[in-house]
Amino acid sequence: MSVNFASAVLSNAILSGTSLLYATLGELVVERAGIVNLGLEGIMLIGASVGFAATFVTGSPYVGILAASLAGLAANLLFGYLVIGRGANQLAAGLSMLFFGLGASALIGGRYVGAVIEGLPPVLLPGVRGFDALVWLGAPTALIIWWLLFRTRRGLALRAAGEDPAVAFAAGYRPDLLQYQAVAFGGLLGGVGGAHLSVAYTMSWDEGMTAGRGFIAIALVIFARWNPLWVVVGALVFSGAEALQLQLQARGARFSPFLMSMIPYLLTLAALLFWGRNRRSAAPAALGRNFHGVE
Amino acid sequence: MTKLPMLMAACLLLLATRPAQAESALTVGAVYVGSVNDYGYNQAMHEGLEAMKAATPGLTLLEAENVPETAEVDRVMQGMIQQGAKLIFATSFGYQQFAFDLSKRNPDVVFEHAGGWMQGPNFGNFFGATQAAWYPMGVAAGKMTKSNTLGFVVGVPIGFAIGNVNAFELGARSVNPKAQVRVVVTGSWSDKTKETAAANALIDQGADVLTMHVDSPATIIRAAENHGVLSIGFQSVAARALAPKGWITGLGFNWGPFMTATAKSVMAHEFKPAMVREGLGEGMLAVAPFGAKVPKDVQALVNAAVEKVSKGYNPFTGPITDNKGVVRLKEGESLGGDKMGGLDWYVAGVIGEAK
Amino acid sequence: MPTDMELTSSNDIVRATRQQAQRVVMIVLAALALFALLLLIDGKDPLRAYRDTLRSVASSYGFSELLVRITPLLLTALAVALPARLGLINVGGEGQLYMGACMATAGALHCASLPAWQLLPLMTALGFAGGALWALAPGIMRAARVVNETISTLLLNYIAPLIVSYFVFGPWRSSDSASYPQSPAFVDAARLPSLFGTRMHPGLFYGFICLAIYGFVMRRTRWGLEMRAIGGNSEASARLGIPVSGYMITAMAVAGGIAGVAGMAEVSAIQGRLVANLSPGYGYMGFLVAWLAGRSIVGIPVMAFLFAVVSSMGDVLQITQRVPYAVVNLLMAVILLIVLGQRKKGSAR
Repeated sequence: MSVNFASAVLSNAILSGTSLLYATLGELVVERAGIVNLGLEGIMLIGASVGFAATFVTGSPYVGILAASLAGLAANLLFGYLVIGRGANQLAAGLSMLFFGLGASALIGGRYVGAVIEGLPPVLLPGVRGFDALVWLGAPTALIIWWLLFRTRRGLALRAAGEDPAVAFAAGYRPDLLQYQAVAFGGLLGGVGGAHLSVAYTMSWDEGMTAGRGFIAIALVIFARWNPLWVVVGALVFSGAEALQLQLQARGARFSPFLMSMIPYLLTLAALLFWGRNRRSAAPAALGRNFHGVE
Repeated sequence: MTKLPMLMAACLLLLATRPAQAESALTVGAVYVGSVNDYGYNQAMHEGLEAMKAATPGLTLLEAENVPETAEVDRVMQGMIQQGAKLIFATSFGYQQFAFDLSKRNPDVVFEHAGGWMQGPNFGNFFGATQAAWYPMGVAAGKMTKSNTLGFVVGVPIGFAIGNVNAFELGARSVNPKAQVRVVVTGSWSDKTKETAAANALIDQGADVLTMHVDSPATIIRAAENHGVLSIGFQSVAARALAPKGWITGLGFNWGPFMTATAKSVMAHEFKPAMVREGLGEGMLAVAPFGAKVPKDVQALVNAAVEKVSKGYNPFTGPITDNKGVVRLKEGESLGGDKMGGLDWYVAGVIGEAK
Repeated sequence: MPTDMELTSSNDIVRATRQQAQRVVMIVLAALALFALLLLIDGKDPLRAYRDTLRSVASSYGFSELLVRITPLLLTALAVALPARLGLINVGGEGQLYMGACMATAGALHCASLPAWQLLPLMTALGFAGGALWALAPGIMRAARVVNETISTLLLNYIAPLIVSYFVFGPWRSSDSASYPQSPAFVDAARLPSLFGTRMHPGLFYGFICLAIYGFVMRRTRWGLEMRAIGGNSEASARLGIPVSGYMITAMAVAGGIAGVAGMAEVSAIQGRLVANLSPGYGYMGFLVAWLAGRSIVGIPVMAFLFAVVSSMGDVLQITQRVPYAVVNLLMAVILLIVLGQRKKGSAR
């Protein structure tokens, strides 16, 4: 296998994995605050459809991405209100958002199927394949999130809300406000993740085009043990599997694409088993529970 | 507990009001697996049906898009029958069994399925004989390529798609003995992200002409345009609009005449089920206009190939060896159109695994 | 709302059903109003949509299709409800369904010469086994406190459809249909018979029988009592001598098996072969049905019926008003969001 092959797989994995990266980072922040959103797929779809529609209508992909991020933020805040404000079951609320996103995106994007847009322009650096701005910003975003979560007061408070809300409350923070902030931020990134697919990568819109990426992102958060830096690696692994099998096909080799796609999930399960036996769970301790304030 | 009776009363009231049914000479239903704006397969079907509607006064057309190839399509078609449809076009390959079963339960409704083989007293099958038509496309690609690598994205690796790839390579080889076709299978008729990734993979492996057998050529053509790569379209000649720089030519379906004839025969109660497979010669398939970059001598070669195929030339005539070295057709032997569905080997020069 | 502990007579069952139905009606009316607003914004006619749906549902075909739709939902909802009694969260219905379908197909393809009265029970058992095995691993991992079952069942949901696709594109690909990725058609003996000339099939009976058994076990047997105790307080139950791990593993396996039977019914009755995209999310819909039903057993068929009616509205909207079918998800979501918003903080949900 030539260097050419490896770099082709890598660059394709990076390109197709960018949307997954952003969505996963968003979900990670939300989960660090103690909330799991199973409906991330719906948020991404809303981002993809709004982003594409806005790009077509205004002619600017930047406006499109912005609109998508705001739409994702709004949708996630709806989810957040139900879970934080009304104390709803997180899994049920998340799945409801999945259906919401499936339906809303079909309605929004419906009249734009087949529309032609100019996608995000590539940022050309000498010697490297032209990636668009969002691709370049992916890893730095992960770094910034890592720094925010692990090196700032606010990040500590947010993580505390996810580990033990009562402790955060005792330290003077409002866990529910922190959770709202996390949910808003997560929705923003989720919308961007969806929009990258439609505005930059394929430059088209089709119903359900995220094809399960939102769910993959949820698995990826687990794979990365809730650490943003590992998310970058994980996004490469998860999207690399698909890039690898397509490049192998183009070279004439054949390995069952389905078996290859299974590998990241099997790896995740194996990792969970291994770490679990040591009784060390990386998950935020209060993940999935809702804080009800001081009784 | 007065709520429940109130609700029931409301339901009965709604039921009682009947909408005014417009009188219609014939109600036709059509089910699409994707969107009719896809610059591809579904758009070509839709345009054919619109042509049928324009040519048949008093015809009502019911359409449903994005219907998956699952049990859902049964409900949609039945719903159309409930709305009075007497002719149903099941336009996607995967609808066949469901449409066939439904045809047995509704003997007074005529069903036409695209791309399959089943037939019944009220069930007909139609498609374009695409394989031979890919031969001139291969001629065009073979002449226009500089890297001698052609890229072909296949959606679902059925025998007919393999036949298209084979004819494409045979055409390319006939004008350029060094031309090779690399094949990437996405596994689905329509998956935009996979198609983009597949196009990228082919371009990375050196392809400078891309073509495809998926429902919508749009994504792959756009990816080609972005990378400065040439493209050949399929399914609908409208795809030309997507590649102002890199368009060579393309194939498109021309369903209008067939659909109009079918509708008229149903209205006259003269429908006879048939297995209709027509190609370039009969006008079921059309060749798109050439792109700006195609020189006149190449155009002449392609047109000559189109002529040849229209007059009945079968590119699957021996001697033909497959890409593993096995001789598949001896001198003088040829493979008929009815055998295309069972193809499971690629001709020499195609890089890929058919099985 | 009487808990199902207090359902001892058929009168109680009728009353519970009526209360459930009432609740459903109120929620649905609110949702329909909101949805009508959305339709109006999009330029469509909501009254016509509702009227057409009613007419479609009132027809015999329409009603039979409703029953066809609720069949898999009854089973996948049970797959969630049963472990929920022990405090376990099973979101793996989707994967368990696929594996059940896969195993049942193996039986159909390799034992095709058996007569129907042997083959169909065999396939049912295989379907159950496939789903049970798929849920067994998460059950064991949870009982051993190694991996949270929500996470493990979720992850396995991704792998199962890939396994089915592998078989359908590979070893089981039928060569007699232009090599389209699907298994060979099942022999007649492997097909669950259709009832009354419609697409209704005995899978419906599987659903109601499982529901009845579940209800009986939960309310009338010691097993049910002990399982509910575990759900209440697993540590106390363990100290009382209840074999918590054993129950957890068994409950997960049985739940997975029930979802697996749903998969078997899909391939045997509806599809007649194994195909790649078997389920439009029955597993997740089942989760929502079970959640909507709460602790109530009669709630499961009622909520499944609700889902079915909403889905059929999607068909009607699509054909009569060119609204994309996916929009019906919006209606479903609106209903769910209203229910979610209703429940007060701190109450049992």
